Amino acid sequence: MGRYLTRKIVIYLITFFFAVTLNWAVPRFAPGDPISMLLSRFSFLEGGREILESFFVKTFGLDQPLLQQYFGFWRSLFAGDLGISISQYPKPVMNIIREAIIYDIIILVPAIILSWIIGNKLGASSGVNKKADNFLMPVFYFLTSSPYFWFALLVSYLLGIVLGIFPTSHAYSATMRPGWNWAFILDFFMHWFMPFLSLFLVQLGGWAIGMRNMIIYETNTNYAKYMESLGASERLIRRYGFRNGLLPQVTGLAISLGTIVSGAVLTQMVFSYPGLGYLMVQAIKQNDYFLIQGCFLFLIIMVLVANFTVDIIYMIIDPRVRHSYAGEV
Amino acid sequence: MKARWIVLAVVLLFVLSCAAWAAERYETLIVGGGTWAQATSWNPLYANNANGTLGLVYETLFAYSPLTNEHKPWLAESGGWISDNVFEVKLRRNIYFSDGHALTAEDVVFTYELARDNNLTYTPIWRTLREVKAVDDYTVQFVFENPNYQEWQIEMYSRAILPKHIWKDVPGEDLMVITNDDPIGSGPYKKLLAGPDRNVWVRDDNWWGNAVFGQPKPKEIVDMIIYENNVALGMLMQRTLDLSNYFIPGVPAIKDLYGLTTWYDGPPYMISANVALLFLNAQRKPMDDAKFRRALAFAVNPEIIVERVFEHMVPVADPTGLFGGWTAYRDAKVAEECGFWYDPEIAKQMLDEAGYVDADGDGWRDMPDGSPMSFEIIVPSGWTDWMESIRIISEAFRAIGINANPAFPDAGVYNDRIQTGDFDMCINNYGSGISGSPYSYWNWVANHNINRTHVTEGNFGRYDNQELFDLIFKFNQLPPMSEESLAVASEIQKILLLEMPSIPFWLNGLWAQSTSQYWTNWPTENNPVGYPCTWANQWQFGGIEMLINLQPVQ
Amino acid sequence: MAAKGFWKRHENLYFAVTNKKVIFGVVVFLAIVALAIFGPLFTPYGYEEFAGPGYRPPSKEHWFGTTIMGRDVFTQVVYGLRSTLLVGFLAGTIASAVGLVVGFVSGFFSGRAPDEGLMMLTNMFMVLPSLALLIILSAYLPYRGIVTQSLIVAATAWPWTARAVRSQTLSLKSQEFVNLSRISAAPVFRIIREDIAANMFSYVFMVYILQFNGTILSSVGLEFLGLGPTRGISLGLVMQNAVNWNALHLGMWWWTIIPGLILTLLIVSLYFINTGLDEVFNPRLREL
Repeated sequence: MGRYLTRKIVIYLITFFFAVTLNWAVPRFAPGDPISMLLSRFSFLEGGREILESFFVKTFGLDQPLLQQYFGFWRSLFAGDLGISISQYPKPVMNIIREAIIYDIIILVPAIILSWIIGNKLGASSGVNKKADNFLMPVFYFLTSSPYFWFALLVSYLLGIVLGIFPTSHAYSATMRPGWNWAFILDFFMHWFMPFLSLFLVQLGGWAIGMRNMIIYETNTNYAKYMESLGASERLIRRYGFRNGLLPQVTGLAISLGTIVSGAVLTQMVFSYPGLGYLMVQAIKQNDYFLIQGCFLFLIIMVLVANFTVDIIYMIIDPRVRHSYAGEV
Repeated sequence: MKARWIVLAVVLLFVLSCAAWAAERYETLIVGGGTWAQATSWNPLYANNANGTLGLVYETLFAYSPLTNEHKPWLAESGGWISDNVFEVKLRRNIYFSDGHALTAEDVVFTYELARDNNLTYTPIWRTLREVKAVDDYTVQFVFENPNYQEWQIEMYSRAILPKHIWKDVPGEDLMVITNDDPIGSGPYKKLLAGPDRNVWVRDDNWWGNAVFGQPKPKEIVDMIIYENNVALGMLMQRTLDLSNYFIPGVPAIKDLYGLTTWYDGPPYMISANVALLFLNAQRKPMDDAKFRRALAFAVNPEIIVERVFEHMVPVADPTGLFGGWTAYRDAKVAEECGFWYDPEIAKQMLDEAGYVDADGDGWRDMPDGSPMSFEIIVPSGWTDWMESIRIISEAFRAIGINANPAFPDAGVYNDRIQTGDFDMCINNYGSGISGSPYSYWNWVANHNINRTHVTEGNFGRYDNQELFDLIFKFNQLPPMSEESLAVASEIQKILLLEMPSIPFWLNGLWAQSTSQYWTNWPTENNPVGYPCTWANQWQFGGIEMLINLQPVQ
Repeated sequence: MAAKGFWKRHENLYFAVTNKKVIFGVVVFLAIVALAIFGPLFTPYGYEEFAGPGYRPPSKEHWFGTTIMGRDVFTQVVYGLRSTLLVGFLAGTIASAVGLVVGFVSGFFSGRAPDEGLMMLTNMFMVLPSLALLIILSAYLPYRGIVTQSLIVAATAWPWTARAVRSQTLSLKSQEFVNLSRISAAPVFRIIREDIAANMFSYVFMVYILQFNGTILSSVGLEFLGLGPTRGISLGLVMQNAVNWNALHLGMWWWTIIPGLILTLLIVSLYFINTGLDEVFNPRLREL
């Protein structure tokens, strides 16, 4: 058990190191000078530009040697300092991210958990019911085959524009102030619903398909046949099948977390939902590379933490892992 | 029984808070299009400050109306040149900052001396400024040596007057750094809050201008940060946006359906705000040849761009590039004799005469020495209207045998390439916005500061013509609309047309669409009660007048 | 008689061509591929040409309607489909190949150093949020073509294949027939070719289909963000344009919905083939 965890942690640490290094390197060696980009947006009296330029270069430490910038990057990272945003100067990247990340959590966590649970249930019942399966399977396939952003557009068009029930953008209305009052909570919910729904449905298809196939496999395995010949009820066999099917689905969850987070980025774009993904795409448009780095880093941390959580859950529900890694077998 | 009471209480609470919210909505103006990133600084000395810092909170001596091309006294009661080199400003009495301190001549002097003693964005004005002195509490004199009259036309409405009693204690090195979270200005609004997707301003009911100009109607202004124009359109349709300053495709088609107000009821719908030009890199062959450059101008039919890409929301630009108040300097005779128009036959003929013919028979024209030529036209990726425009322009060039292709590098790369001169042709409008003097336009399209790695003040094609630079310099030092200034202006126009370092194609609009569910009396062509613009640093173009003249529906 | 003998020898093929899911999938897939190949022959326009007035819903002249500027959506879709299929093919092939080699080598040397190293790398890449990584990479490459795009998409797509192939190799390695071959002193190469590889073939084919789907979805996502190829047309780009030009708000559903629908159908059809083949190769599933 300890070995299993240590192994995982080592992998995560190396991934983190790799990601941070990549994160630091890419913008610095890529074309496009962010400072000129920033300055090109203003027009000044003659000569005013140079003054601002030297001011920026010094502030962002871009005049230091590369290696020093690299070590400085790590040092400030551990101090929780991700630098200062260029496009939102002089706001620290950390503060911007702190405000945005709540929106990721609020749509991702319910969407992932609910779609996983409901998807598995639906998939299991579809797997054992031929009639339902004929109808449900194509639906599941349709859902899981849809590009996230396209499905979001579809939802936005139908529920937002044609039916006009839900607002098509932002996290809450322009006139609302965040606070614990009903008007705000309702408003927030209305804005939250469509991004959540599209993420939820697209994922649902994938889980349902996975569980459906798994159940069909399981009910056809030798042990199931054996149980059947022993006179076990069909329900019992299914329950065993479902349980056995769940393990690979948990692994599947760990594997697809990266894709789900990517899907959230696209969904946020469609609904202008101000989470990290949305922030990151805007930061790219404005060449704000400290902010890009911050978003990327936090997306990775999010995925790593989620992965780790899934690992622990897996360990708890699968006795084999506990034993094999403890060297008991 | 108990449960029922709880449900009832909850419902009641809900209804009440909704009602309160609905009432507030009628006092709130929701705008969008001027803010592109979360506001983080309300420091008027820092260039990237929150939209509204200048105009809503801090005010300028004069306002400027692009519609009438007039400077309107604002903090100043009057102002003018009392001699060749002295500009005198009389301030209004009874102007107060929002903390109750009076605004006097001392504050004006302080604002300018701050730039003399420190490195600020407007420090270069001290190249010709000698002294700013307070004659009395309400009179300020700007004493120049060889004043740049034209630049002053712009400066007059650009500088935020700071309260001395607050800023005198800020150390020099912090002047641009401090975020000034609680800005104290003399303007009609105060900062309320700033979130990741909005800035909110609240009216200062004690504004000094209430007695002079009238009180702005919206109690609160919510400035939304919206990155996509389709989102802005959605919000207009759902009435969650009152005024949108975005370019929104399709407005002519759905304007009446959704009850949107634009400045003109029909084409071109929008007030013109800046010129979009095609810059030609004069440092590359054959674009160093004026004949070649001029031939290109005849090849393109900007009407197609206006019709297809902009659905008639923009007009075709005048060959001189001048529009709005600048046209006062337009020389009709020069424009007629040296102008250009769409005629591909002329373009072909000019190219033939200059020796740009298809030498190797591949269907494309070649250099006079026979070597092949091909060009790339760039605009930033994602700038959809420009992307479509250069597709049309490349097609037009290809139609006269010039092998041109559109390309869409990312915005950062685009900026880097135009600044370092690493391009063939590009569309740009960064510095062509309407202003109080065509000097700003000429000094941008033909800026002299081109011998360096990053060209940032315009003239991206690095067209080098000392005679033209001297003329522009001279123009700056001539009093507005003086006989001599008109003569110099004609010379400049003539050179620009004959040499064609950049080709003005169309006039981008001041995109403005408004809805009338919560606010009416929007400024339009027939009801010019302001300038429907919420873009940064343009509130003093008539934005405050718009706020004063708006009428709440309830 | 000869025919019967043929089907007997190629039992799997028989089940494949009679499996309803496979038939449905293949028909739809071929129809879409045909659309990409022959579609351009049916349109008199170029995909950047102004083909008529704007805002036109689907009609006889414009099968999929026109865009706001009057471009023909059908033309854009068929040309876009070509590039999307090409990216799927290239990226899918690269990702499958890398995944196969890594997985196979890793599985073959299971427990030893190459395995440890490769699996470490695989797990690392698997955890990275692919789109975020792609955004970072794409954003800083000023010009991107189809090949560049395929490469960066493939770079993040291979890990799960590697992991799956590894475990498949492991399980095959320990199966009885391999041991039998080993006992009978067959050369290693023959074991790989005849036993492991042959049994892997069906698996590889299905892996390839999944990779094709996955890479198409990632690349369309990139295109939608404006980080796809900087020239030409693709389905993601058509939809990005539709969104940028307010197609949905202006009621032009055909501009947004149709390209996405075709793409979704393409992917659904491949999933059907995949599931169908699964039933073919795992006889136990056929009974259902």
